[in-house]
Amino acid sequence: MSDASLKAPSLLPRLPRLARPAVRADTPEASRARTGVLFTLPAIVLMLVILIVPILMAGVLSFTDYSLGRAGFDWVGVQNYEHLLSRSAYRSMFVATLTYVFVVVPASVGLGLGAALLISSLRVGGDFYKTIYFLPVMAALLAMAIVWEFALHPTLGIVNSTLAAGCDIGWLRGLLTGAWLGGDPAASWYGQGCADGFPLWLGDRDYAIWTLCFIGIWQAFGFNMVLYLAGLTGIPRELYHAAEMDGAKSGWERFRLVTWPKLGPTTVFVVTITSIRSFQVFDQVEALTSGGPMKSTYVMMYAIYEKAIQQNLIGIGAAITMVFLGFVLLMTLIQRHLVERRVHYS
Amino acid sequence: MARLHLKDIRKSFGETRVLTGVSLDIADGEFVSLVGPSGCGKSTLLRIIAGLETQDSGRFEIDEQRVDGVRAADRNLSMVFQSYALYPHLSVGENIAVPLNMRQLNALQRLPVIGPFLPGARGRRRAIHAQVARAAEMLDITHLLGRKPGQLSGGQRQRVAVGRALVREPAAFLLDEPLSNLDAKLRVHMRAEIAQLHRWLGATFIYVTHDQVEAMTMSDRIAVMLDGELLQVGAPSEVYERPADIRVAEFIGSPKINILPAATAADGSIACLGTETRMAVRGAEVRASQLGVRPEGLHLSREPADFTGEILHLENLGPELYVQLRLQGCDAPATLRADAALLPQLAVGQSVHLSFRRDRALAFDNDGKAVETRLLDRTPQTTPASGIKPEQGIAPDLGEERRAAHV
Repeated sequence: MSDASLKAPSLLPRLPRLARPAVRADTPEASRARTGVLFTLPAIVLMLVILIVPILMAGVLSFTDYSLGRAGFDWVGVQNYEHLLSRSAYRSMFVATLTYVFVVVPASVGLGLGAALLISSLRVGGDFYKTIYFLPVMAALLAMAIVWEFALHPTLGIVNSTLAAGCDIGWLRGLLTGAWLGGDPAASWYGQGCADGFPLWLGDRDYAIWTLCFIGIWQAFGFNMVLYLAGLTGIPRELYHAAEMDGAKSGWERFRLVTWPKLGPTTVFVVTITSIRSFQVFDQVEALTSGGPMKSTYVMMYAIYEKAIQQNLIGIGAAITMVFLGFVLLMTLIQRHLVERRVHYS
Repeated sequence: MARLHLKDIRKSFGETRVLTGVSLDIADGEFVSLVGPSGCGKSTLLRIIAGLETQDSGRFEIDEQRVDGVRAADRNLSMVFQSYALYPHLSVGENIAVPLNMRQLNALQRLPVIGPFLPGARGRRRAIHAQVARAAEMLDITHLLGRKPGQLSGGQRQRVAVGRALVREPAAFLLDEPLSNLDAKLRVHMRAEIAQLHRWLGATFIYVTHDQVEAMTMSDRIAVMLDGELLQVGAPSEVYERPADIRVAEFIGSPKINILPAATAADGSIACLGTETRMAVRGAEVRASQLGVRPEGLHLSREPADFTGEILHLENLGPELYVQLRLQGCDAPATLRADAALLPQLAVGQSVHLSFRRDRALAFDNDGKAVETRLLDRTPQTTPASGIKPEQGIAPDLGEERRAAHV
């Protein structure tokens, strides 16, 4: 009796420990979990191989002076990042990139929204405008950049020749020079252009980045317009009717009360996508300016291409890539925050 | 509060004629239901009243003032939408305040950041706040004022929508199927609440619904619409007991009225399914070709009576029993409402005798218009017309059971 009661406690903890793994492995939950892991394994492996590992490698390489073809490399610490902060070429790179992003994103989002609102208010012809505004999105930007190069050619281009033609028409010249406002015609931008020739749109450091921004807006806003059109169709008409019954008489009031809040999720998406694409601008820079003149259009993607591919300086290229990824990650985090906190109501 | 006057309102969408000349007068403080099946034009009519849609022709007056060209925002009507149409980014309190903000603050005072600091804005905002609080209290949603519509249940959203409508004391309330998104239990509850709200406010209510029960239980008057036409406007009991048109008779009442083929002899007497009904039409030219008998107007009988039929199906609803029958000589099945206590005595396939209450039967002519009838013999019907006598049936026992249940 007493033996048995003494032995029992020492046996008890051992028995379950033996039994438990077998029981656990056979539960339907466990086998389902194993199957689940098995199913996601290809995706996880692929993600590791083509996403995570390359990023980690770029991160590692950004601390080296590695270049392709060399047998080894030396650790250089944060030297590459130091260069990014200290050298004027990279300061130009940040200025050009951020200028491009902060001009193209608001302008193309605003124009896209405006075009979508106008098109959705049309009874007929909406499809026509949709097609026209969407054409730049469908066209290959590299090909379009060449067309722009012709159009913006300083002497042969249609832009400058049109502007120059206006100089000979008295009233038009008066209008564009601002003479009717009482200003000095010769001192105005148009007046100077008529006298000294119109700018080299892509060759002048004061104009090149703005010209690229213009092309970027031209190319991007059609896409934003389509996204906004989709967003607009999701707004129930009853909400507009409710706003009307509540006394929102002007279009602006209805926009503020119904359209803009309901487009919140679309706007977050559009702004994020446009920002990331603007950070990635490359085609028109490569085709039109090659980062010049005087590094005024030296955007990040072009810098990566120039350093890592053309000059085979993988280390500095990787460092720029890491900074670039940081920007994109920041955009994504902001978007997630907004999506979860602010713009989804129901 | 207001009287509304609609005269010959017509509306077409392309080729489809949605409203074909609707005229309706609504008295001050009246609760009128527009009822009809889907697609009958009742919502379009309501939206024309609201000003969200323009009629092709006809005139609409509020308190003798023609408002045809006046836009919705200026008509001083408020509307509760089927989907509630709450602004999802605004809290409940802000939602209810919107109609007041729009009317009592100017464009600058409504601006988000600087608006509250402009002269005069503070006092008005405080007044609006008080009005919102009062409306919320009336609807018992004070505890929800800070929440967003997305966090509310259907019934709560419904209340907020009503609150937004009543906060500014409009000339009339327009309600477009406000209960159709709620579950059955909540619908019954909100039905009573809206009727009570109408009594409190004493305002004019126009209520659109496809649910005849809502129309019957809440309204002072029902306007039955079908195919863009107002078929009958009247008190619920009048529409139920004396429908002007066979379509009204068929639409109002659940289960549906039984329509039996009838024939009128030269002397005006009506025969139905081979039985003399001892009813006759009034007037010489009038011919009744159909007889409408409500399910509660048909009774089971022990002895051979007006009709015979075969039981097709029995539906026990608890307090009462619906018996589906095929009457001899009539293809369409008929429905009869009986005491559930009769259930043990009935079986599917059983052949039964039926009588009907002639004083409740409705006669219609070929076009479906109601025909006035008179009873030929003035002798009171052998009561009860339902053949199964209480002492023979189970009714008394049921009575005892019910009493027991109450104790």
